[in-house]
Amino acid sequence: MDSNDGVLSAAAKDASAAFHWEKFSECMRVLNQLLQNNGDDPKVLHNIAIARSFQDGCSDPKNLLLLLNNVRRRSIELAHVSEEHADTVSNVANKAALGSKGTNSVAQHFSTAYNSHFGYGDKLDTSVTLINIAIIWFHLHEYAKAYSIVDSLFQKIEQIDEGIALRICLLFLDVALASVDPWKFFDVLNYLEKACCVSNTISQIGSSNLEAKSSSLPSPSSAADASESPLSRTLLEENLETLISSIDMSGQNLAGLSGLQSSNNRTWAPSDHSVSTSDLRLKLQLYKVRLLLLTRNLKAAKREVKMAMAMNVAHGKDSSMALLLKSQLEYDRGNYPKAIKLLMTSSNQTEIGISSIYNNNMGCIYYRLGKYHTSSIFFSKALINSSSLRKENPKMLSTFSQDKSLEIIYNCGMQYLACGKPILAARCFHKASLIFCRRPLLWLRIAECCLVAVEKGLAKSSSAQSNKSEVKVRVIGNGKWRQLAVENGNFGKGGFVEKDNGFLGDDKEPNLSLPFARQCLFNALYLLNCLESKYTNFASPYSSTLDENRRKNSDNKSSSVSAPKGSYLSNANVDSKEQKGGSAPNATLQSSILNYEEICRRENMMIKQALLADLAYVELHLGNPLKALSTARCLLELPECSRIYIFLGNVYAAESLCLLNRPKEAAQHLLIYLSGGTHVELPYTEVDCEQWRVEKIVDLEESNGGFLNSKNSSLDETQDVVFLKPEEAQGTLLANLGVISAVHGDAEQAHRFVMQALSIMPDSLEAILSSIFVDLTIGKIQEALTKLKQCSHVGFLLGTSN
Amino acid sequence: MVSEQQSESLMSLLNAGEHRPLDEIVADFNSKFPGLLRFVLCSSLSLLLENKKMLRPTQRLVALAILYQNYSSQKPSSNPFISLLVNDACDEEAEICERAFIIQLLGSNNSVLKLSAADFINSFDPSSLALPQREQLQKQYCNIAHPEPFNCLFKNACVKNVVPDPDLPPGCDQNSQEFELQPGVKPKIGSGDRDQMITGLLQNLSLEGLGPRWIRPLPPRLPIQEGELVWLNPANKHELLWDYGMCADTSRGAAVRDLITKALKGPLGPTQQELLKHANLSLIPQQVLVELTNDPKLVYHCGLTPRKLPELVENNPLIAVEVLIKLMNSPEISEYFTVLVNMDMSLHSMEVVNRLTTAVELPTEFVHLYITNCISSCENIKDKYMQNRLVRLVCVFLQSLIRNNIINVKDLFIEVQAFCIEFSRIREAAGLFRLLKTLE
Repeated sequence: MDSNDGVLSAAAKDASAAFHWEKFSECMRVLNQLLQNNGDDPKVLHNIAIARSFQDGCSDPKNLLLLLNNVRRRSIELAHVSEEHADTVSNVANKAALGSKGTNSVAQHFSTAYNSHFGYGDKLDTSVTLINIAIIWFHLHEYAKAYSIVDSLFQKIEQIDEGIALRICLLFLDVALASVDPWKFFDVLNYLEKACCVSNTISQIGSSNLEAKSSSLPSPSSAADASESPLSRTLLEENLETLISSIDMSGQNLAGLSGLQSSNNRTWAPSDHSVSTSDLRLKLQLYKVRLLLLTRNLKAAKREVKMAMAMNVAHGKDSSMALLLKSQLEYDRGNYPKAIKLLMTSSNQTEIGISSIYNNNMGCIYYRLGKYHTSSIFFSKALINSSSLRKENPKMLSTFSQDKSLEIIYNCGMQYLACGKPILAARCFHKASLIFCRRPLLWLRIAECCLVAVEKGLAKSSSAQSNKSEVKVRVIGNGKWRQLAVENGNFGKGGFVEKDNGFLGDDKEPNLSLPFARQCLFNALYLLNCLESKYTNFASPYSSTLDENRRKNSDNKSSSVSAPKGSYLSNANVDSKEQKGGSAPNATLQSSILNYEEICRRENMMIKQALLADLAYVELHLGNPLKALSTARCLLELPECSRIYIFLGNVYAAESLCLLNRPKEAAQHLLIYLSGGTHVELPYTEVDCEQWRVEKIVDLEESNGGFLNSKNSSLDETQDVVFLKPEEAQGTLLANLGVISAVHGDAEQAHRFVMQALSIMPDSLEAILSSIFVDLTIGKIQEALTKLKQCSHVGFLLGTSN
Repeated sequence: MVSEQQSESLMSLLNAGEHRPLDEIVADFNSKFPGLLRFVLCSSLSLLLENKKMLRPTQRLVALAILYQNYSSQKPSSNPFISLLVNDACDEEAEICERAFIIQLLGSNNSVLKLSAADFINSFDPSSLALPQREQLQKQYCNIAHPEPFNCLFKNACVKNVVPDPDLPPGCDQNSQEFELQPGVKPKIGSGDRDQMITGLLQNLSLEGLGPRWIRPLPPRLPIQEGELVWLNPANKHELLWDYGMCADTSRGAAVRDLITKALKGPLGPTQQELLKHANLSLIPQQVLVELTNDPKLVYHCGLTPRKLPELVENNPLIAVEVLIKLMNSPEISEYFTVLVNMDMSLHSMEVVNRLTTAVELPTEFVHLYITNCISSCENIKDKYMQNRLVRLVCVFLQSLIRNNIINVKDLFIEVQAFCIEFSRIREAAGLFRLLKTLE
């Protein structure tokens, strides 16, 4: 039995070695032998699956997932069986022990049996299988699935072999970043950094004393050294020592962290699997920059990326990643020329995956510069790169994760929307919804496509809508009997038949229509509310983290059992080092995450305002004044609502109330802008518009320097979004006040308001029609006729044809 | 909408009033136009009737007859145009014969319908007519109060969307007959064809009329959000991992598990007495510790569950300390602590806690709870000898904790003071009391 075990483990070593040297066919041969001898060993099955995927590419990751899940299930079953067995055995043992003193030896025997079985649990450890499953999900962009696995592994990270633990942490960092979970990212980064930092402090101290000890195990002699100090000290030092020896046995190689020294059979652990300490530190540094960029702490990001560059130079490493991040930093800061320059130096575009990234990022920069045409060229280049990547053979797992076409397609959608091509844009967003369907913003954008399409008469159901750019007047009869008939357009009618049974057309693409827009807006609101409740539920514990952290720094006793992982690693000794170097930047991380949460909250508020305004507009269009009214009221009740949206909310609410025959209440919504009887104030100012366009937190220190550029470029950006100028909004209010007065029967006041409105916006059709209406109601037929004839936006149609 | 053909055929019906009997015309109207269109046409007619000069008198009579007869199967009060008819009948400015015609229609006097409109006008004798009062007519025909149809304000406020815009040479009177189109005569400037105008109007009169136009601003597109455009960064390589644990040799681990199992049953190696003397480490079974140090993960697999911890503490406190220190990062450490707090007080458990306090940072609640347990154990013990022993131990333990600054005395001052006073007969308690006093 034992000899057989020995043979097996020797064969397993052979297989592992073959795998390490990438001799996959040799590896498979040995594995198949192992399989014949030991058919039910899940780990053999696992390694066969892995080796095969390395041998001939991974064209079918779903199948690999299936295999690995089977392995996992098998392991769990086996573990369960052995546990049950162990339980019964130990019960028997206990009974035997209790039963008679004479059978002690029997009990002894049983308990050893139990222990050897318990030992099987070790063999059934599924953490490698699990991380492989998570890795596959990660490559397939299924971040939520990967997240839940890695999170569960991270919960018991202490029990996991350090080599694997390191992999888990690195994967978790990427997964947390992809699923925008900065807090988890922070936890993992902290944990990793502590592990890394400890080894670093040691190498820094590196004095003969510790160096010597670190290589030796705690032995009676080392204890004897410390025998003069109280016992407590001895224990403490010894503890530190074990820590040292476990973490940085080999000094340089962090793979040493994996406890390699404990099992000599692993000294040939694959070189590509081990990460040197300096590599890891660089990696962590870059991760830190990415977190800072995500949380938009640009100042700190600048500092950290500088450090990363220095580290790159020091170690003579390829600095393309750092350059790319630097380019992103400049892009975020609005310094676009510099971003372009950095982007160009960052990459050799020969690699397809990289060139797709390069083109996409160029597209982003040109979009921000307002050069939509150029940006569209870059985006389509990026898409071409992506698709050629997909055709590459043989497919490796990383091919899947390198394919970022859906992200690029979203960018394309934004560019089409900015260019006023709603149908193409909607097509892009529809495709991108595969990955972004949980984002409220995506649904808002689709709804915006619908609104633009309807406005432009591109929507399928809006064909009946008349050209809005002019009033049509029919000339009927002639001479004495000549009459002018003013066409009323589609006023008052919904103009929409809700017969669209499916929002998706034949080609599975959305039919842009207002009912579809409403559906999208509902989706977005729902998602936004989910996010909000998440923030209110989880924000409180996190918002106190900073205070907690401060408290922790001042009073180390408070690190309780519930504190985040890794805090135990820092016992008193390490902590004192920590406070000098390690914890300060992490406080920055923490505060920038808190800051970021606030930014997200504000951003969501902005999105919510846009959503509600759009929804009220759509409901009005669809002839649901009651729904429009309640939506507009929701909008007005939002805290921190922008004055632009307050204006829109009031106008929509007033219209809904008029449609509901409640003119007095309607007037209330408009009269708030009235001051001094007849004067209507500007509902918002240019400053409000500016703020709304660039919701940017500019820290003052930067704004007098490098931000000058961004100020200029933000002017370009403004072309991207058009909205009523404050004066036009004022005119709108006046015209609508005129309408309400007219409806009330106060023709004189109506006349005054409408004339004021016309003086502000002489080209507004609605204002002209309203003024003609007012003239007709007070019997000034000649004036009405003159207005009709003078207005440049009136089209006279001869004859009686329809 | 009304088509050109439809409007022309209605026009010919209106003109037929010259010679055809009205009932024939009404019957034609009913047969030519489908139901919904009839209403549209009726309302157009009612709008045309509003302007008294637009239709000729015979045309007006035909229009009125159509308006009335179209709804004659129902009660007069449900005729949508009843108020127009009644108003017209009472209108002082209207033609007398027209008013008489309406009165006869309302009185269901069908004999008038046998005549053509022209015949009615010609044969009309104003002297034979008694015009009833408006109130009387209203009471008679409009007695059922119609609920106002619900309509939005904008629509209620609408005005007719047609404005007369006579195209005449300046200074001419538009009422003058000279601008009527005469057959056979060359049209003058400013003359117009009345019938052509009416067919045109029939097509273009809008039921809704012209209302005030509310401006409904299109909501703006949300400006692009920070970070909305996806900036791409190359993904880190995450390659699949080989499981090096395959068929691994687990014998070493098994040996440790064996040792731990033995350690649960009884002290390993040297006797208890030697351990009691805070003996130096050489007396601790080396093997377990070496193995545990070699493989820091081994502690998770050595088979020690929280339930079994008391046995280990009692039999091998030093191993227990070592194991617990290694378990400090484990999520289950709190379970181990709970067991440790709740186990019977003994020299060994105190030893373990004391060593732990100096080696690692223990949760404050745990230390406090442990001390409270110690004190209450001392109070509850019956055996005087054992009690003395335990009290002395607790005192030494507490002094050690205080001296090493593990606990903040202030947190437990009252409790500890009471304990000292209760056991003041014991020398160590008195010593602890003095220590407390110096700290005050």
